[in-house]
Amino acid sequence: MEIIEKIKTNKSIDNQSEIQKICLDKLQSSPLPNPKSEQWRLSNQSKFSDFLDYSVNEKNPKFDTPFPNTSQSTIRLVIGDNCQINLIKENYAIKQLSEDKLVKYIKEQISCFDQNENWSDLLNLSLNCKKNILGLKISGSEIPSIEIFSHASSNSLNAKTLVIFIEKDCDIDLLQVNLGNDNSSLSQSTFFCLEENSSVNHGVVSYGENKSNLLSSLNIIQQKNSEYNLGSLHFKFNYARFEIRIKQSEGNAKTNIKGMQITKKDEQISTYTKIDFNGPNVFLDQINKSLADDKSHAIFEGSIIVPKIAQRTDASQLSRNLLLSNRAQIDTKPQLEIIADDVKCKHGATISQLNEEELFYMRTRGITLTEASKLQLSSYFQEIISFIPIAKDKWDLLDKLLNEN
Amino acid sequence: MVNENLVKDVVKEPYKYGFVTDIETEKIEKGLNEDIIKLISQKKEEPKFLLDFRLKAFKKWQKMKEPDWAALGYKKIDYQDIIYYSAPKQKEKISSLDEVDPKLLETFNKLGIPLTEQKKLTNVAVDAVFDSVSIATTFREELAEHGVIFCSISEAVKNHSDLIEKYLGTVVPASDNYFAALNSAVFSDGSFVYIPKGVTCPMDLSSYFRINSGDSGQFERTLIIAEESSSVSYLEGCTAPMFDTNTLHAAVVELIALDEASIKYSTVQNWYAGDEEGVGGIFNFVTKRGKCLGKRSKISWSQVETGSAITWKYPSCLLLGEESVGEFYSVALTNNLQQADTGTKMIHIGPKTKSTIVSKGISAGNSKNSYRGLVKMGTKATGSRNYSQCDSMLIGDQASANTFPYIKSQQPNSEIEHEASTCRISEDQLFYLQSRGIEFEEAVSMMVSGFCRDVFNQLPMEFAAEADKLLALKLEGSVG
Repeated sequence: MEIIEKIKTNKSIDNQSEIQKICLDKLQSSPLPNPKSEQWRLSNQSKFSDFLDYSVNEKNPKFDTPFPNTSQSTIRLVIGDNCQINLIKENYAIKQLSEDKLVKYIKEQISCFDQNENWSDLLNLSLNCKKNILGLKISGSEIPSIEIFSHASSNSLNAKTLVIFIEKDCDIDLLQVNLGNDNSSLSQSTFFCLEENSSVNHGVVSYGENKSNLLSSLNIIQQKNSEYNLGSLHFKFNYARFEIRIKQSEGNAKTNIKGMQITKKDEQISTYTKIDFNGPNVFLDQINKSLADDKSHAIFEGSIIVPKIAQRTDASQLSRNLLLSNRAQIDTKPQLEIIADDVKCKHGATISQLNEEELFYMRTRGITLTEASKLQLSSYFQEIISFIPIAKDKWDLLDKLLNEN
Repeated sequence: MVNENLVKDVVKEPYKYGFVTDIETEKIEKGLNEDIIKLISQKKEEPKFLLDFRLKAFKKWQKMKEPDWAALGYKKIDYQDIIYYSAPKQKEKISSLDEVDPKLLETFNKLGIPLTEQKKLTNVAVDAVFDSVSIATTFREELAEHGVIFCSISEAVKNHSDLIEKYLGTVVPASDNYFAALNSAVFSDGSFVYIPKGVTCPMDLSSYFRINSGDSGQFERTLIIAEESSSVSYLEGCTAPMFDTNTLHAAVVELIALDEASIKYSTVQNWYAGDEEGVGGIFNFVTKRGKCLGKRSKISWSQVETGSAITWKYPSCLLLGEESVGEFYSVALTNNLQQADTGTKMIHIGPKTKSTIVSKGISAGNSKNSYRGLVKMGTKATGSRNYSQCDSMLIGDQASANTFPYIKSQQPNSEIEHEASTCRISEDQLFYLQSRGIEFEEAVSMMVSGFCRDVFNQLPMEFAAEADKLLALKLEGSVG
């Protein structure tokens, strides 16, 4: 009950928005996710309570981005910064969503929520005041790339919500950066709706500091002939949980996902994906990589659901994991649930350490063990990093991953 | 497209083991409580340690909840509506097989199980279990010459109680899971095998389980112990008559392999699966586990699962000994309204342990077939290796195939590989075979047999042939 009390003490009932009320109501019946359920059973309970431990904060103090400032061709938005955007150009338009439409859409989403599965979203929406919700509608062509920042301030629990409608025939590069501060918790929920023939290259980079926690979810709806490419990278979080839910509402769409999580010290980072096909001719290619070092724990659970209607599905899922320390742990569970018969589905999983033969080969050529390991790791990382739009050109993520501890 | 009429024309062969043997049986009243357990124990003249084991298990069972995590849907089982002990009436002691009720012998002959020792050509020793009791074990004397003990578990309790006390419940403890606890409380009979040090068992051992009465559950318990450097191959077969009610079968199998010992356990499970509307059929909840205790020991499970309305079965290996090996080869076929949730657990504890998993699932009709497996590398399992492959084949657009592999590693110097694929019968291949004059049904069975070949290659010869035929028979009329 604690979390509900916390939200209530933070805000009197009169000040709560309609959505907050609905979500709080839902949370009353299950104030915490069921720790025995498949989605939450591996979650470290003490770390999870660390996440909830901070007091709710709706203010947004200035923050320094560890990433360089953008060039002019990129639009940078910070959620909660009172940012107003209303760009109407010759070829494209990026407009703020009207409040009615925003509330209507979120309410629609809430009505399909599963109490346990969407617990993070319920928490996010019940915590959130209007100013920390950013709603956008994007249309047109030749759209400049967009960067959206969410950040948490020290010693507090922050919630940010992002809702984006990508209209017909629209093609866009969008990068989301979740920044954690020292001793902070960030709850980030994102809702995308991709209309027909649209295409999104979406990047999510979550970058924490000491003892920062993150609960992040992505809810994507793809209409027919849309293409959604996601590149994601999570690192340096005491506790992070990344939930991806994609629904191809009419089939005939393409999804590519390349994600990576890196855990060190005693961190726990997990990725949960659920991909639901609700029509025929769908395509999915997913790869998730984990690297666990020291005493850390990396988790991946991916489920692909192919109902009878999703004939001619072509789906593949691969989980590749590197376990670098004998005190670290990796759990992975790729799953397939198939009813349609005319499908090609496969999944694979591997857990190993760095390839010894390759290391040996490089050492015989005079490369030191440390350098050889770095070379191997960089090729392991590069596959994912090169798939994250915008960031790959501006920030030397590879250097950050290889040289920062 | 496949000609549907062709399929409809195929005469469906009924479940040919569905007959009931009319024999006088001794049953106890329905229900489960401490008195019933004491009565079972008393009937079997068991020592006190076993009664205590049963009562302890029963207490644990009462506190447990029926598991609901499997991808299975079935009506609630009323555990008080089951008879926990049923035995064919016969003379107290049998000195030779001639004294066995001829009706029983006939039953087993009908099932193709030779009990009379004249049929030595087959060279397989059989322990036949009818409802709750073992009625006959063949080739005893010859096995005894080699020091091999092969008898029913009730006999073992009387004659080798030291071994039973030492090993029973060490691999599958009574509190392991709901159905194992139930079995530990009420198990009636089953087989016991002990292979002494350095002995390679001179023949394959086999047990045959037959459920005959409709309202009694079958709870057998099998315990196999292979001492240092010994080896044994064990086969298990099961059938049941057709009833409109669901019968519960909750068995426990425990295998123990010491240094350099090897146990091969093969199953062809063909319990009655219910009719096309899903009426009747056996609920099959089985806990099978092997413990590779010794260095370089090996346990290999191979199974062909074609029967039962519900299958809940995960034959597992605990790989404790250094360089021990665990294997799991499985074909699970579901048709009509059958549901199967089956797979394996490979728990790597010792260093340099290896495991291989090959699972083939075929789902037809409205059935549901899930693979659920766990591969775990413990912190001490350095240099260990696992390879898993699970393929599913879907026949028809109403069947479902699920794969749930759980993989957990805490050891960087180990490797785990898992791959899974799902496909359907290729129309190109079907067309090719048909254009060569091969009948449609035959072409399908050829392709299914090819799909399962990796597993069939692991089965003992006589089983492999039977399994192949069984699959073809089960699939008849389901392709369209």
